[in-house]
Amino acid sequence: MTEKILFIVFSVLAVAGGLGTITRKNVVHGLLLLVFTFLNVAAIFFLTQAYFLAVIQILVYAGAIMVLFVFVIMLLNLRTFEQEEQTHRRQRWIAAALSVLVLVEFVVVLAGVTFTSVRGGLTPETMTDLGGGTKVFGDALFNNMLLPFEVASVVLLVAMVGAIVLVKREKTAGGATRAWEPGERPTPEALEEEV
Amino acid sequence: MGATPTEMPIPVDWYLYLSAALFIVGAAGVLIRRNLFVVLFSLELMLNAVNINLVGFSRFHENLVGQNFVLFVMAIAAAEAAIGLAIATALFRNRQTLMVDLFDRMKG
Repeated sequence: MTEKILFIVFSVLAVAGGLGTITRKNVVHGLLLLVFTFLNVAAIFFLTQAYFLAVIQILVYAGAIMVLFVFVIMLLNLRTFEQEEQTHRRQRWIAAALSVLVLVEFVVVLAGVTFTSVRGGLTPETMTDLGGGTKVFGDALFNNMLLPFEVASVVLLVAMVGAIVLVKREKTAGGATRAWEPGERPTPEALEEEV
Repeated sequence: MGATPTEMPIPVDWYLYLSAALFIVGAAGVLIRRNLFVVLFSLELMLNAVNINLVGFSRFHENLVGQNFVLFVMAIAAAEAAIGLAIATALFRNRQTLMVDLFDRMKG
């Protein structure tokens, strides 16, 4: 019973954080609410006996990835684009309405399905029988999933190289694109001419 | 945790409802917002919703492959964040804006 109450509490907080993320005007506020959501999801992983994933969620997601976002937001000098979304006002309402519609569809579909499993589900007791959650997790990862694991490391390497290549300043020789001075804001007309 | 052996675990449906709610919030964020950063946040939200699904079913079926999948999703999310932020940096350098409506051509 305690578990269920905690699950509901963390779920509500996670969804509330998500809603805050997409509604805040200030990007940094949205980012902090996103970290809050991730911490709640980590708590839900913990309730699900996925202890290792809960720790990884906090370390990698709420820690590393979000710090990367904070760094880039600071790097780009946020103050220059504070005003937002004057365009496509009608599209926003249509999008919101459609999202709610899809959510209703999800709920209707899920309410009509009953899930059955031959097993009772992992509990702390069965986890202990299997030899501890993280040990079993590691066994599965490094035996069945060894090839995908190695591929994932290559993907991360490619992402790292790609990020460096994308951000590196090019030595422009001939048809150089114009470099904007810091603080200068190009008008839409100037952007059109540039092309 | 005060879980006794006779206690029923959290039903798998609950994970699906939570996951659906988070996913829709993320999708709505992508559709509604015009700021590139918020769009990237919403993508992370959707990936997290998928992770909740995988973990819930992993416990339901007593099969840890689902949890291993979550680890891979996280690795891909990290790669996606790195590339996305690099693209955001390059775009901001050329355009001095991050409103996705203004990025409507591949050239330049």
